[in-house]
Amino acid sequence: MAQQPRLTLTGVVKSYGAVKAIRHADFELQPGQVHALVGENGAGKSTLIKIISGATAPDAGSVTYDGQSVTITSTVDAINLGIATVYQEPQLFGELTVAENIFMGREIVTRGRVDWAAQNDSVVKLLESLDLPAKLATATVASLSVATQQQVSIAKALAGDAKVLILDEPSAILTDAEIEVLFGVIRRLAGDGVAIIYISHRLDEVITIADQVTVMRDGATIGTYPVADMTVRRIAELMVGDALSENTEPRTAPEGDPVLELKSLARAGAFRDVSLQLRSGEILGLYGLIGSGVAEIAECIYGLTKASGGDIVVQGRPVAPKSPREAARNGIALLPANRKTEGMFSFQSIAFNVSIAHLQKLSLARAFVDRSGERSVVKDLMKRLAVRASDENQAVGTLSGGNAQKVMLARQLVERPKLLLLAEPTQGVDIGAKEEIHRIITELADNGTAVLMVTSDLQEALRMADRLLVVRAGTITAEFGPGARQADVLAAAAGDREGTASA
Amino acid sequence: MSTTLDPNASPAAAPVKARGRVLPAPVTPPEIALIGVLVVLWIALAAATPAFLSAGSVIPLLVEVAPVALIGIGMTFVIITGGIDVSVAGAIMVCSVITGKLMRDNAIPLWLCLVVAVATGAVLGLFNGVLIAYGRVHAIIITFGTANLFLFIGLRIFGSTPIAGMPNTLAWFGRGVDGRTVGVPNSFAITVILTAIAWWYLRHTPGGRHFFAVGGDPVAARLAGIRVQRRILTAYVITGLLVGLASIFTLAKGTSNLDQSVGSGQELAVIAAVVIGGTSIMGGRGSVLGTLLGALLVQTVKSGVIQLGWPSQLSDLFVGVFIVVAVGTDLLRRRARREP
Repeated sequence: MAQQPRLTLTGVVKSYGAVKAIRHADFELQPGQVHALVGENGAGKSTLIKIISGATAPDAGSVTYDGQSVTITSTVDAINLGIATVYQEPQLFGELTVAENIFMGREIVTRGRVDWAAQNDSVVKLLESLDLPAKLATATVASLSVATQQQVSIAKALAGDAKVLILDEPSAILTDAEIEVLFGVIRRLAGDGVAIIYISHRLDEVITIADQVTVMRDGATIGTYPVADMTVRRIAELMVGDALSENTEPRTAPEGDPVLELKSLARAGAFRDVSLQLRSGEILGLYGLIGSGVAEIAECIYGLTKASGGDIVVQGRPVAPKSPREAARNGIALLPANRKTEGMFSFQSIAFNVSIAHLQKLSLARAFVDRSGERSVVKDLMKRLAVRASDENQAVGTLSGGNAQKVMLARQLVERPKLLLLAEPTQGVDIGAKEEIHRIITELADNGTAVLMVTSDLQEALRMADRLLVVRAGTITAEFGPGARQADVLAAAAGDREGTASA
Repeated sequence: MSTTLDPNASPAAAPVKARGRVLPAPVTPPEIALIGVLVVLWIALAAATPAFLSAGSVIPLLVEVAPVALIGIGMTFVIITGGIDVSVAGAIMVCSVITGKLMRDNAIPLWLCLVVAVATGAVLGLFNGVLIAYGRVHAIIITFGTANLFLFIGLRIFGSTPIAGMPNTLAWFGRGVDGRTVGVPNSFAITVILTAIAWWYLRHTPGGRHFFAVGGDPVAARLAGIRVQRRILTAYVITGLLVGLASIFTLAKGTSNLDQSVGSGQELAVIAAVVIGGTSIMGGRGSVLGTLLGALLVQTVKSGVIQLGWPSQLSDLFVGVFIVVAVGTDLLRRRARREP
């Protein structure tokens, strides 16, 4: 007997302006099922989730809930239907107790006042159903570990009698042991008939926990498969499709001297035993999923955090940068991942942003900024990088993402760096600017700069890197050459245990 | 960390009742510390200058505390939501000068004075609240702007001369014998009663709890279905209403004259009381009881310094130290929790 699906989406379409976020999506969710939703960044997963959770409305297509056609126009609608979402970052109030967090916005009220005792009793029942200690009810959320906070988020979602639970990348912030606890909770909920949508980049987890997996690619659902028939590699292949990585003109990496060496670099709790060698003129890619430790490795090299073991050797000299300033003095130039919060002065002009790191070079007698010198250097760079702006006095905050990123790159080019560390260089940048940024990076490498590119954009990694190292679970697990297949790299990064052969 | 979950936690630990404090603590550690400091100070001052605990000294102290602690109730709401209001001084001037002029020229009765002052304050608070809740500009910028606007309005209404010769209509709120009930200044008694009501409201009603949610994490609050903007607006309107009432206290404790210095510096006195009272300047945490204690502490120090014959600048130094200690404690508390 075919069970009636809890939730069905048919022919859903969603555009943001000219961008088609979802071209066509079909999705069916059964009660008691753990249903994984996978796809690369930009495949349309988050938009689909937003539609289900009421954060945005589809342009076309139908949504059926328990056999009834429904229109979900707000998050409150979704909650009333029994669709609850646990966001990646816990949405909790640190200063308040767990019980109060769970009932915030839907307090139990008797005669105008919050019935604390009733709230606590019902939270205790809820916590026990999730195997959580009862004493948690009166603990302040800020005093709990991240993992526990996430479980509180799940409890909060379930307090509204949820029939559909959406977990958005729940494992990204958890340790392996904590993930096991989470899986226990998921299995118990599924056993009670809750339908669970599980979003994760980590395909090994998907294989472990999910019953069904729906794969999205380029804004469309390309199919739903029973997980029993799948392997990590097979899912990875479906995610990237047959699309070969775009043809890149083969670059012959010059055989320069090693500029950067990492020797068994480690930071407790983040990564361990990371060793690599980067030669001058080489572009080395470091690719890993969220939570793999790849971002932390980069932070450590440019001095934002300190290593707890191992060595960083720059041009033969061991260094231990304690701040980005020290990293810069040791010859490590950096293009930070989050330009808005790390390093960009939005209200200042392009000229200011470019020259801020080089005021000594651009100053007369080390005291006065040489304005005309500054202007000519900046103008020259703007031309070379094809920055589209009215002039060098335009505020960076008013530029498009791509142009702003080019300005940030220009800052690093005033003095041609020996070693350039790029973190997510083209995040939030349009296609045209991306091409140009890639061209500039290649040009720099051709002129002898050693480039270390940390990215979670797989196509970019494959296209740009002379060698590509894959980071998983805090250490380098595989190395690929320029001709690697996307599916192989993704499978290695996502945890295909047998697929770690180097190419 | 002991709260990290054990995957094998026994489900057999059957029906346990919630242990620990079910309610938020009625009196928080910073408040207990404040009470301690106050008691020690009072004992020390009484020992040093026997006149300190006499009625002639305590009553003026309470009369001075009343307007600061009263506005402090509203400011506590504001700071709990993560905002701030630095326009209080200007608002006091506008409320006082309007009421003062009406009183002098038209001999209006007490109740009408109250209505005029409170309504004026509410309008000013609403103005702040709308701009902050819907303008999406940080409260300090908005209220810094409105502070200057209110001062301008107040000074325009004053004209070039102080208001002189106001009738004794407000004596019930004043520092004289008419302003006391069983020896306690009426203005201070009203402040204590309103503090108690606000304390109960913030602690026991859903509406009150929502202020903490808004200051704790506005995004999460919105996702929880809380009307964030309305909460923020309400906080500034409450402050405005109380500024109106406090202006009556201010008019009443003065002489028959009102000059252009009215309200000056009060915004800092109020914020100092709130911060010393343990309300977190980052929002999400705080208590009106602490604010009342904070206001009492500040005024005790000021009176004490004067009565001991010390240079009066010393009281500013002490208040500064209290603020640093209060803010520092809050930051340390947060940091200690952030890094388990």
